[in-house]
Amino acid sequence: MNSGIMKRRYPEKDRVLLVNITRLGDMLQATPTIAGMKMENPDCKITVLVEKQFEGICNIIPNIDEIVGIDLGMTVRSLAREQDGIIDAYEYVSEVVDDLRIKNFDYCLNMSSSAYTAILLNLLGIKRRGGWASDEEGYRVIESEWARLFATSVFHQNRQFNSLNLVDVFRCSADVEQHPKKLLVDVPQDASDYIDNLLREAAFTTEGPLIAVQAGASQGKRQWATEKFIELIDHLTYKYKARVVLTGTKKELPIIEPIKAGCRSENVFVVAGRTNLPQLAALLQKSAILVTGDTGPMHMSVAVGTPVVSMFLASAYGYETGPYSEGNLILQPVIECGPCNPNKDCARPDCHDQIDPQALAELVAMRIERDVKNLPQGLFDPARVIVYRSFFDQFGFCDLESINTSAGDPWQRYRNAYRKLWLDDLGGFPIEQENKPETKILQVAEEFPGINEITSRAEKGRALIDRLLELIRDTSSEPRLLGQVSEKLSELDREIEQIGYHFAPLGPLTRMFIFAKENLSGTDAAGLASQMGRVYDDLKRRSRKLVEYY
Amino acid sequence: MGDLRSLAERMKSDWDRRVSHDYRFWMSDGHRDDKDMWQSGERDFAILTGDIKNPQNKTLLEIGCGVGRLLHAAAPRFGRVIGFDVSDVAISKARELLRDYNNVELYAGSGYDLSPIQDSSIDVVISFAALASMPVGVAANYLCEAARILKPDGDLRLQIYLGREQEVYEDDTLHLRCFTHENFRKAAEAAGFTVNTIEELILPIQVSVKEIGLEAVIVKLRRNNSLSVADSSQVAKLLLPSGEKQARRETTISELEYWMALNYARDLVDRGEIEHARETLEYAISQVRDSSVDASELINYIANAVAGERALENEKVSVKERSDYFNRNMAVIKRRFNTLYHTLEQIRADDADLQVGDTPEGRVLVRKGQCLDHQQKPATAAKVWAERLLSDSRFKQADKIAVYGFGSGYHLESLIKLGGKDLLVIEPDPRVLLKALAIRDLTDLLESLSGLALAERVDKDFFEGNVELAIRPQSQVGTAEILQRVKTLFYGERGFSALHPTIGVLGPVMGGTLPIGGYTLRSLLGLNQRARLFEMSAFAGGMNQLEQFVKEDFRKAALRGHYIEMLSQIVIESINEKPIDILICMAQAPVSLRALEYCRQKGIITVLWFVEDYLRFTYWKSVAAYFDFVFTIQRGECLSAIKSAGAGEVHYLPVACDPVVHTPLELSEEEKERWGSPISFVGAGYHNRQQMFASLANLPFKIWGTEWPQCKPFDRLVQEEGRRLKPEEYVKIFNATDININLHSSTERDGVDPYGDFLNPRTFELASCGAFQLCDERAYLSEVLEPGKEIITFKNRHDLQDKIRYYLERPEERREIAERAREKVLAAHTYNHRIHEMLSVIYSSKFEQLKRREKESPWTRMLERSKIDPELHERCKAAFERGEEPNLDGLVSDIVAGEGKLSETEQKLMFLFHVRKQIIRMTEERTGAKGPK
Repeated sequence: MNSGIMKRRYPEKDRVLLVNITRLGDMLQATPTIAGMKMENPDCKITVLVEKQFEGICNIIPNIDEIVGIDLGMTVRSLAREQDGIIDAYEYVSEVVDDLRIKNFDYCLNMSSSAYTAILLNLLGIKRRGGWASDEEGYRVIESEWARLFATSVFHQNRQFNSLNLVDVFRCSADVEQHPKKLLVDVPQDASDYIDNLLREAAFTTEGPLIAVQAGASQGKRQWATEKFIELIDHLTYKYKARVVLTGTKKELPIIEPIKAGCRSENVFVVAGRTNLPQLAALLQKSAILVTGDTGPMHMSVAVGTPVVSMFLASAYGYETGPYSEGNLILQPVIECGPCNPNKDCARPDCHDQIDPQALAELVAMRIERDVKNLPQGLFDPARVIVYRSFFDQFGFCDLESINTSAGDPWQRYRNAYRKLWLDDLGGFPIEQENKPETKILQVAEEFPGINEITSRAEKGRALIDRLLELIRDTSSEPRLLGQVSEKLSELDREIEQIGYHFAPLGPLTRMFIFAKENLSGTDAAGLASQMGRVYDDLKRRSRKLVEYY
Repeated sequence: MGDLRSLAERMKSDWDRRVSHDYRFWMSDGHRDDKDMWQSGERDFAILTGDIKNPQNKTLLEIGCGVGRLLHAAAPRFGRVIGFDVSDVAISKARELLRDYNNVELYAGSGYDLSPIQDSSIDVVISFAALASMPVGVAANYLCEAARILKPDGDLRLQIYLGREQEVYEDDTLHLRCFTHENFRKAAEAAGFTVNTIEELILPIQVSVKEIGLEAVIVKLRRNNSLSVADSSQVAKLLLPSGEKQARRETTISELEYWMALNYARDLVDRGEIEHARETLEYAISQVRDSSVDASELINYIANAVAGERALENEKVSVKERSDYFNRNMAVIKRRFNTLYHTLEQIRADDADLQVGDTPEGRVLVRKGQCLDHQQKPATAAKVWAERLLSDSRFKQADKIAVYGFGSGYHLESLIKLGGKDLLVIEPDPRVLLKALAIRDLTDLLESLSGLALAERVDKDFFEGNVELAIRPQSQVGTAEILQRVKTLFYGERGFSALHPTIGVLGPVMGGTLPIGGYTLRSLLGLNQRARLFEMSAFAGGMNQLEQFVKEDFRKAALRGHYIEMLSQIVIESINEKPIDILICMAQAPVSLRALEYCRQKGIITVLWFVEDYLRFTYWKSVAAYFDFVFTIQRGECLSAIKSAGAGEVHYLPVACDPVVHTPLELSEEEKERWGSPISFVGAGYHNRQQMFASLANLPFKIWGTEWPQCKPFDRLVQEEGRRLKPEEYVKIFNATDININLHSSTERDGVDPYGDFLNPRTFELASCGAFQLCDERAYLSEVLEPGKEIITFKNRHDLQDKIRYYLERPEERREIAERAREKVLAAHTYNHRIHEMLSVIYSSKFEQLKRREKESPWTRMLERSKIDPELHERCKAAFERGEEPNLDGLVSDIVAGEGKLSETEQKLMFLFHVRKQIIRMTEERTGAKGPK
């Protein structure tokens, strides 16, 4: 690990509040950050603010000193009562705010983009903060460049240009450099005992590997078909004598029961609806492997050290939320429309057909045997599905390497360039770069549509800002002139934004520019102009670097 | 409890006797003749059943119908009418009186059941003033019987007494029974009814005796569909848990009957009906064996009269007689209430109907036979009244009490004695005050009063401070109009500060009334009321489109009906989402009877501003009964006609001007060219206008508006193809014209309508624009603008032509007249004035109802609880005043990001707002269900 290299705003933290309110996956994905904070300062006290129903999962996450649960369900029920309920909810939020204020946090990180957590951060009045917050006037702001990169990367149009796992971006948003390179949970003994009993109930008739299959998915379009799961499991049970446990929640039983019913082998056991989170962790810990989509149990499996073979269907994107530890296998269908927009339904998820259940069974069996770094020819056609293996790069950032193709996909070159750009520009990591002569750079720029337009506008922006600053300083200047320059700047910004929409690979660059602009603070004209000047400088520098890394 | 059969026998014998003596006295308040009795029957029947729909298809049954006082009103309205009474004599009389009606069936019943009537066969059962005089067991049995014979959802309408239970012997058939509200409700529900409303009965005569807790009420009940109902003994137990006093089995008439008969005899003497007085005296004396009532003086009085010596025992005190008392009292009034003194000095009124009575506790005043104090124990009764009043929390909390009614002053003396409150007194009848000053020494009382005024002179300043108004029932009688004025002043003014109802204004879809909805809203908001407009004009296109689809009128009418039903539903949904307390419907507002009924069930006060000629547009006949208030632009018969169609209250309220729209304008040359003319008229081409204006064709005359013929000379006079104009356009015409003609429309008469009374909006609007108008003569015009000074009128075509010629040449005169008119309408005839008056009426009449509604409103509690955080409280108050709903959206609706620093309270509310949004979104994601955004 290259410790102590990363550029950081707030490297020292003593009393940290982590706002991580709503999702199980988010909580697990925060574990390297939490562990990293402790690694960097063992005396640091970490408080996590979570939705009441996730308090349970926090209990099995190591390194948390205090869990504060906020009952949003009750709050919303109060609000639904209206009238009195509003006052009840208001009193409740006042109490929560008061309780948190007295803890006197010196740093706060909110990686939930929701408006209410942003407002909460402002209410708490913590000076040093990362992630989403709001300013005094109620506007949402994103503190720290890494958090803006987080927001940029999950922007649908930009997703395919990102190769940084969000766990790392999250961690960097909190200015944490050291970390355990995996997700973490503690498996309590009672949960482990419970699973032993549960598995006895299964009365498996073979001694083959215990394979966990998480069939349910968070969205319909990510839900692999029942018959495909049946085919997969039949293959595993017959060819490899596997013992299969079907995990899931009670709500997922309507998906799971038909799978169980369709499987020919008796060595398929449904545990869905019979495990709480610690018990699920214990089950996964005892399993040889988890076959899953991009799900909460996938992160849980990683956290207990059980490898996963994961299908990233529909909107799921392996680079972004893939399993965060080394040696997991990720299947990303190759399809024009994928990864698709998470907010859009899909009536015909063709991406599901790209994965052959029998081949998947072979891959699973192979991964149980060993860390798979290459695949037999023809097992998976790289034109239909790319199989990735997860690993960590030299700076400790999770990455994926394709193990069934050397060609890579058309976006790979952009992804690589952006990866280097952000690690260098935001993280300050020393990226080895080719010493390109000027002619080479010009040539590359030719191949990178729109990049020259961006660079020239960034320069123009800087020039206009300089003119603006002159006019501001010259008290005798006509206000009309100031208005003219401001108008030109607005026009310029609209153009930059449009270029980002028009040339998709420039999207991340211009989106970072837009976020930076939205985060300007203060009311003093000269101060604002200076900040804006730096935003143009950043854009110019980054566009140049992007060309270099491309 | 005695058995029902023997109680019924007692009832039968009592009522047979009474009806044989005088059916009009014993069964209907002693009306002089049948015509009077039928009139009172019409009134009471309307109160009881005015809101029942489609009566012609329904069967109505009356329990205790007597001689048919109410059936006479029911017969022409209901399809089938059935009357039940225990008295054979009464039924036989009723057969005679109602012989002209072939849809009436009369039964001399058992006195406790309705046995020949089949189950579930009747739509409406009524009973007026009958149940109260029945033994409780009998009354309870009738309740159960009514439930049996009524169809599901059938209506039961009762006039009974609720309040404090009275001690009445079980076999007493005259004293009034009174039940507590709670017990009555329980009993009615046990009998199978849902109590819909209980309202106080107010009649021109005193019907409630609140001093003893007896309140006359009208109860509207609905037969519910519950299968299990209690038996009548259980119902009786619920009505009066302690039961009635055991029967006395008296053989003679009760003291009450004796006393009533004697007093009636005295009235008959006073009316000059000596022979009947003699019969009545005999009736009283012959039936009673022993009485503790000392009626010797009364008997002597009647007997003397009967003997031909009409010797009134009353002390004769003339109004102007300078008795010692009078002079001393007046001296105090002169010193303390000088203005009143001068007013009283001017009064030369006849006081022949005011008499003075003697009681052991002092002298009392009697007006038209009605004693203004207790007729025997004025001081004792006054003390009871005063104690009761002061125990009421409303009066306890007040610093001052304003008492309506001076009477003989006993009650005021009691109030002073019990103390602690400033006392203001309003007397409706100056003659009463003068006479009271003459018969008693009231100097101490007059010294103690904080205010004393005649009701017609009192103004709103009189009620300044923390005042409560107490109305003496005795003084209420015969002063309905003046009392309304006092109540309007008091409650109306107080309503503006103490009430915060949400008011919905429902405008029409199209037509001339359309802008008035907007003016009304603006005025409501200007008067700091929480108001919103149901803007329906956007639906005009749909309405017009419907008419294109079919040709036949009946189909068009049916489609319009459906369309209005749909629009009504839109209004209902809007009200359900954002509740209102008062709905003001403009004339022609698209609202169905169903929707109005729904509003009333929700406790919304319904108001119709009928700004149309009631003789030409008669749809009020079918809708009046659904409105608590109807405001009209006509008086006289219009008011009584709409009232008898079932409207709650009917008041005169003319249209007006809105100075924001109707205002003098600086017009460009171009505008003057387009809109201006030496003579103009704006309005639709009614018959009388066509007839009149054809003769002005040779003058520089422009006509604007719709429905004008396309023939000569109008093809030349009518501007811009006779299109409909917007208010801002005709305001330009008014401003750009030298002489605006204002001829009120008539479909029947030529030229000026000699019977025209109401004023159109144009009269006020022209004046408000400072525009000169020539207006046709109208009955109400001089009340608004002084003809010759503030407005010029014309009688006929020649007069109009002469005046046009005259005024065309005199711009300065025109300007002066128009300026005076403008000044006048701005001072007294804007929509702000009208709406203020409208609300004063509503607030005065419905003050308690609105206050109660407000007290029960969620806002009240929310405002109270929000005091935990001063800023939150302020925010709640502001949201309330903005007319927001008591929910989170209402509280945050004015928080806008980027408009200055958000306070902590604002941030907390926005936090909650976004939490709710997020959780709803997540729930939708999880369940796949999409909810409303």
